[in-house]
Amino acid sequence: MKLFKNLIVPMVALAMTVGTVQAAETVKIGNIIPLSGPSASVGIQGKQAREMALEEINNAGGIMSLGGAKLELLFSDSKSDPTTGVTEAERMINSEKVHMLTGCWNSAVTYPTTQVAERYGIPFIVPVSVRDTITERGFKNVFRIAAKDGWWAKDQFQFLKDMQQEFGVEVKKVAFVYENGDWGTGFAEKWKTLAEQAGYEVVLDEPYPSTTSDLTPVVIKLKRAKPDVVFMTSNAADAILLTNTMAEMRVNVKAIISSGGGHADPSFLKAAGKNAEYLFDIVEWETDLNRPGLKETNDKYKKLYGNNMNGESVDAYAAMYVIKEALEQTGSTDPAALRKTLSEIKVCGGMVGLLAYDCVDFDETGQNKNASLVIVQTRTNSKGDGMDRITVWPKNVRRAGYTPVFPQPKK
Amino acid sequence: MLGIIEALINGVLMGSIYGLTAVGLTLIFGVMKVINFAHGSILMVGMFSAYWFVKLTGLNPYLAIPVVVPFLFYFGYFMQSWIIRPIFEAEKDVREPITVIIVTTGIWYVLDNLSLLFFGAEYRVVKTSVTGKIFEFYDMYFLLPKIIGAGITILCAIYLYWFLKHSKMGKAIRATSLDREAASLMGIKQSKIYNIAFGMGCACCGMAACVLIPFYYVYPTVGVPFDIKAFIIVVLGGLGSIPGAIIGGIIVGIIENVGAQFMASTWTELLLYGVFLFVLLVKPSGLFGMKQDF
Repeated sequence: MKLFKNLIVPMVALAMTVGTVQAAETVKIGNIIPLSGPSASVGIQGKQAREMALEEINNAGGIMSLGGAKLELLFSDSKSDPTTGVTEAERMINSEKVHMLTGCWNSAVTYPTTQVAERYGIPFIVPVSVRDTITERGFKNVFRIAAKDGWWAKDQFQFLKDMQQEFGVEVKKVAFVYENGDWGTGFAEKWKTLAEQAGYEVVLDEPYPSTTSDLTPVVIKLKRAKPDVVFMTSNAADAILLTNTMAEMRVNVKAIISSGGGHADPSFLKAAGKNAEYLFDIVEWETDLNRPGLKETNDKYKKLYGNNMNGESVDAYAAMYVIKEALEQTGSTDPAALRKTLSEIKVCGGMVGLLAYDCVDFDETGQNKNASLVIVQTRTNSKGDGMDRITVWPKNVRRAGYTPVFPQPKK
Repeated sequence: MLGIIEALINGVLMGSIYGLTAVGLTLIFGVMKVINFAHGSILMVGMFSAYWFVKLTGLNPYLAIPVVVPFLFYFGYFMQSWIIRPIFEAEKDVREPITVIIVTTGIWYVLDNLSLLFFGAEYRVVKTSVTGKIFEFYDMYFLLPKIIGAGITILCAIYLYWFLKHSKMGKAIRATSLDREAASLMGIKQSKIYNIAFGMGCACCGMAACVLIPFYYVYPTVGVPFDIKAFIIVVLGGLGSIPGAIIGGIIVGIIENVGAQFMASTWTELLLYGVFLFVLLVKPSGLFGMKQDF
């Protein structure tokens, strides 16, 4: 018994102090994103953006109010699968003891995964996952930086209306082609209502499975439906397949309006090449935006990882700075205190200023109320060896000297 | 109406290419009674080899066949003799070598993640001389690479069928697939037959890869959608039957393409599995399968 008192007790005490000291030194942030499967390429860009921000924050001295505590990122692969997302969130919270969570890109994964975080009271930052309902369930711990899909769909229709006025072209028939996950079906619901309000005739309403090996049947249907404008929501693999198959099957439409996601993925532009000419895409962010520090950060990213940043990676990057600011202001890693700070915080300037707007500011549902959107057109670049995305809408941010091509020429 | 005919023909074209991926699976199963879960990953290896061949040499994609197909043959040959055979021998008294199935699943994960590590998650497309070329007929469009692909598939199937029926090696393969012990007693070296059968199964994937590369993109998990289809096709057409795999592939292609003209394409999967279940109920050995005791 003496041995126990003399040896074990001090050892346990030592172990406990070491434990608490370490806990104060790092802040653990769990990231559940798709690192394999159909959305892997966008997930990996999200990981890269987070890592770049993390390195900058840690090199700059970490979290000052926590005595220079370093951030630590833990990644887990959701495989774009809701069930995996939920189990990974449970594991992150219970075994890894993370202080905060971020993720999951796929709305279908974010939706149930945020539920787990809410149950445990762990703050969950959603950089991008646009399904409306994610922040409409009265949750206290979910904070979204990206605009919700209701805003995206509304802006796509407003854009179409403005283009018709600007170019004097009339659009009557529209078609919807979308992946059958939460994200695509969420968009499609909004499109249907908006098309009805605007008086367009919907000639095709076609969901398709994102993991499919062949989209020719969908394209044949689309071609026979003869729409004026096609609205699309696709992940990267299916965006490539759809765009290439549509070009090969000579589908003639006045315009194609896509919804970010796969169409905003840099590997989409490489793989689709000239087949993506004239495509309109709605995004939160573009490399040609006139924002302070944007060019330097993008150059750094490109040097590190070989691609330009996109809306998704910028949101992920900004999310890290929002987390940093929240930790600075809270001065503790207690989830409840962090939650309170996040609900009141307004993060402006600095690296967050790379976004298309000035400040991140969450409303009572946890939605960033400043998130705004722009529409870009894909064109062959001046050297002719790649594709360029040019901001065209709203008109006040249109790249100087560029006239959008609407309707697109016949193939 | 034109849309349906267009979909029907496209279904046959794409379906025969599915058939080619399934032939490799059915061949390996027929001989070794092992379900190769790494089949899709082997297709991926084939597609990356074909991709790099075309990308680096700039040659016609079909010229990759004499390079990629032998490469995949030896890839399969050595994979069987170095990785699968030791497990197989340890399990030789077992009626159904389940451990081997687990090993092939392991190979699947290793190959997919290795390619993720080396090539990244990016989607790669290579522009070839036939990419985007179409064949136009009465306002219907068919992709030239798909037509060529379907042609190559049919030639391949006929050759394989002839090879198994008439060549000495083919006869030895068939003998082993009918009865391992009896074939060994006749002086057929079982392990070598296994190596060759596995190699041939992989070579079929190599052929399918060269056919896919002019119109399809490559990424590390590209095998998965093809893999799932190949399993359905193999069971539908009859385990171990080569004509069954091709016909099964064409049936799947037609269901996918024509079905989607009448309903949302999400629902064609339901139709596909419905037909699959129906065939299993009516003819459990598959359309062309023999009743045999595995």
